[in-house]
Amino acid sequence: MSTLLQVLLRSLETGAIYALATLGIIIVFRTNRMINFAQGVMGMVGAYIVTVLNQNFQLPLLLSILIGIVAAIAIGFLVDFVIIRRTKKVTGTGKEIITLGMMMVFLGMTPMIFGVDPMRLPKVIETGELSIGGANLSFNSLLNIVVGIGLTVALFTILQKTKLGLAIRTTASNEKTARLMGVPTKWVTLFAWALALVLGTLAGVMIAPSTSVTVNLMDSVQVNAFIACVLGGFQTFYGPVIGAYIIAIATNLLSYYVSSVWGTQILYALVIIFIVFRPVGLIGKRMTNKV
Amino acid sequence: MNSKSTKTYLSYIIFGVVLAALPLLVSTGIIKTSWVGIIGGTIIYAIAGLGLNLLLGYSGLISLGTAGFMGLGAYISAYISGDLGLPWELGMLLAIVIPLAFGILIGLASLRMEGLYLGIVTLCVSEILRKTFDELEPITGGFSGKKADFPTLFGVIELDQNTTYILLVVVLVLLMILTYNLANGQLGRALHAMRGSQVAAQAMGVSLLKYRLIAFALATAYASLAGALYVHFIRFVYPSTWTLSVSLVIMALVVIGGLRSIFGTFIGAVIVYALPDLLLKNIPVIGDINGLSYIFSGVLIILVVLFYPGGVVNLFSSIGNKFKKNDSSAATLATAADAAGETPVAAATTEGTEASNE
Amino acid sequence: MSNDLTMEQDEILRLDHLSINFGGLKAVDDLSFSIKDKEIFGLIGPNGAGKTTVFNCITQFYRPNEGSSVLFRTKSGEVEQLVGQPVHNIIRKGLVRTFQNVELIEELPIIDNVLIGAHIDFKSSGLAQALRLPSARREEAEMREKAMEVLEFMGIKELAGELVGGQPYGVRKKVEMARTLMCEPKLIILDEPAAGLNDIETQQLAESIYQVRDKYNCTILLVEHDMRLVMSICDRICAISFGKYLACGTPSEMQNDPKVQEAYLGEKETAQ
Repeated sequence: MSTLLQVLLRSLETGAIYALATLGIIIVFRTNRMINFAQGVMGMVGAYIVTVLNQNFQLPLLLSILIGIVAAIAIGFLVDFVIIRRTKKVTGTGKEIITLGMMMVFLGMTPMIFGVDPMRLPKVIETGELSIGGANLSFNSLLNIVVGIGLTVALFTILQKTKLGLAIRTTASNEKTARLMGVPTKWVTLFAWALALVLGTLAGVMIAPSTSVTVNLMDSVQVNAFIACVLGGFQTFYGPVIGAYIIAIATNLLSYYVSSVWGTQILYALVIIFIVFRPVGLIGKRMTNKV
Repeated sequence: MNSKSTKTYLSYIIFGVVLAALPLLVSTGIIKTSWVGIIGGTIIYAIAGLGLNLLLGYSGLISLGTAGFMGLGAYISAYISGDLGLPWELGMLLAIVIPLAFGILIGLASLRMEGLYLGIVTLCVSEILRKTFDELEPITGGFSGKKADFPTLFGVIELDQNTTYILLVVVLVLLMILTYNLANGQLGRALHAMRGSQVAAQAMGVSLLKYRLIAFALATAYASLAGALYVHFIRFVYPSTWTLSVSLVIMALVVIGGLRSIFGTFIGAVIVYALPDLLLKNIPVIGDINGLSYIFSGVLIILVVLFYPGGVVNLFSSIGNKFKKNDSSAATLATAADAAGETPVAAATTEGTEASNE
Repeated sequence: MSNDLTMEQDEILRLDHLSINFGGLKAVDDLSFSIKDKEIFGLIGPNGAGKTTVFNCITQFYRPNEGSSVLFRTKSGEVEQLVGQPVHNIIRKGLVRTFQNVELIEELPIIDNVLIGAHIDFKSSGLAQALRLPSARREEAEMREKAMEVLEFMGIKELAGELVGGQPYGVRKKVEMARTLMCEPKLIILDEPAAGLNDIETQQLAESIYQVRDKYNCTILLVEHDMRLVMSICDRICAISFGKYLACGTPSEMQNDPKVQEAYLGEKETAQ
């Protein structure tokens, strides 16, 4: 029982990380109609900035994270300003290819700027743990869980309750109409890209202490976040978040109880099969094509 | 028709002969030995690119699974001809047929999905394959990798690096001809129709199921063949080779070279694969060669998609057209008899998207 | 879906109790009418009447409700139930359509766009085509010749090698029409062919519709907004409103039908 609880608590932490990455993907998708394959590497770049500030420049971790967030916002603005604004006339596949191109640029620049040696990023809270029903949970993991859930809740509140949220939702449902109705869609996409970068960076900072900071930092997070989007469906903001937690729990359960070697593969295969039978994901309805 | 296709075939063959002369140049000392390896690699990437071009260029379907299938082809071929000691030809055959089955499965799944899920699902499949390469040690050798030999043709002719290189050239030329035939006939038009408008394609009797399956099957077959050739040319294979970045590089060469262009695919491979190795390496100071070539390809991809959807190959043909403008009426008659599927026109693409947005 | 496959001898298409729901909305409601062979038949109705939905149901892009029946006399002369057939099989029966916003492939020359209309007529195997065996080459050449004939008939033969992208709207419409003729159809459905054309072009369109019917011996179902065009060329017309049947008859009968007048009240002024 305590093992199961331990696995579930761990899943909540992984789920929080996946959820943030997932939200980054979905906010860009809903406002720009493009799947951003560069989400993972954007988070990786953010995590690198934080790590370098903390390790090489000896800044306190929290300050490093704060500066990292500001830098992420700046990169997000830059991406939107330099590239995304020019993609209005590009087809869906073309947009995806552009994000893949962006991914290559980030992947190429990172080792040139930050070097090729793996780096380490410490936890925000180094020591201490809780004991819940026989399972252990470090304070840092608890912090990650809280930040993950807190940010998700905050974001949904913004989406539902504020004027900005309304603008995003209008843009998400129909960009053209939104623009005609006077919604500043340019600002909405700018905000979306900045937010995606911030969320990616936070996810990167959260996962970094458990591994080392390299260009591959976010690879598995990215794949899992995409799987979560597919599972939850791209039509809502909350579907993918639910998907993220399901994926996290399922990965950990499968690797612990079924096979540590084949767990992930089994999960991916299951999701693909699920999608074949329910192409729109858990939540969402089929879009009817007008002929 | 005949004269047009004969001319095209001839251009492919001449191209092949020129490529095949490379080892000769090496032996005379005009170019370095390393060129054979680099151009050989370029050919392998171009082969996978030709397959992806049928999928991405003609059908407009994205796939990020190329690396996974290349790896699968490589391991199967290495296992059958190495560990099992069976003929090289059988290894190649199975290295194509087994991945093909996977490709068809993805194609089947793809039909049920909104187009945008496809890239993600192919990414997952590639990821499943890559993790399997890590774990399936008896066959793949796990993290430490797996060795293979240069091919032995028909059980008697043992090839070395140079002759294997010539084998690569022969395969490339044959595939260029095959791709040309496929792209310029009923199949090519059906794929075009599917990309242009699924609704119109169906109204014209094109079964989406059938042609998506064909497109996926072809892309998979080309990729796994490229992988199988890779393992017998490089003679070594690691699981870590087949990551997303290989899929990205192949997609990049297709986009940069020119969607729906056969020569463009090879030019793309030269730009993305060979050029960084041959040129950038010699630039001092900048350091990490991979980083630079990634930036180079990434920036090119973005520029091409945004401003020049026809790819680099179209640059050449539009320069050529400037000279030909005068006798365009004669040219029209000639092309009327058999239309060229070779050169996509950038302006048409952008106008098309505008029109369909209305 | 009824299993009754009986049709009058001179009928080519017969709709019985056609209905379809979108959500709670009945887009087409118990619609029945039939089209006679070699007829130019108009389907009219005010905006949002469900005209396009009707023929998306005929061509199986939409799945009509249970109990709907769409009978069609195919090329072979047999009567077949279209409801439930795969979309891509409809053209094989001899029924082909155009699109309101002209769905062509911009990156291909006109002739290749027309050749897509012959997709179902290619007999040689994929392998023969991949290897370009003589049989496949001969077939391709024959099809190209046929496409050139169709283009000549449409009066755009000299444009055959030009890319579709960049062609004016009028030419595109002709290319689309040529594409439908490649399969030697029995029934062509035209979706608002006059949309976006000026008066002279509309006049030419009317001419070419007659010519197509006479030369290719086919029936034409016209879904159209331009009342002048419909009234001038159609043999018979069916009017619908909110997915329901209003009236069916010759143009003059329709003009005097009170129900049609009521549905079109106000609409008449906007239609030039």
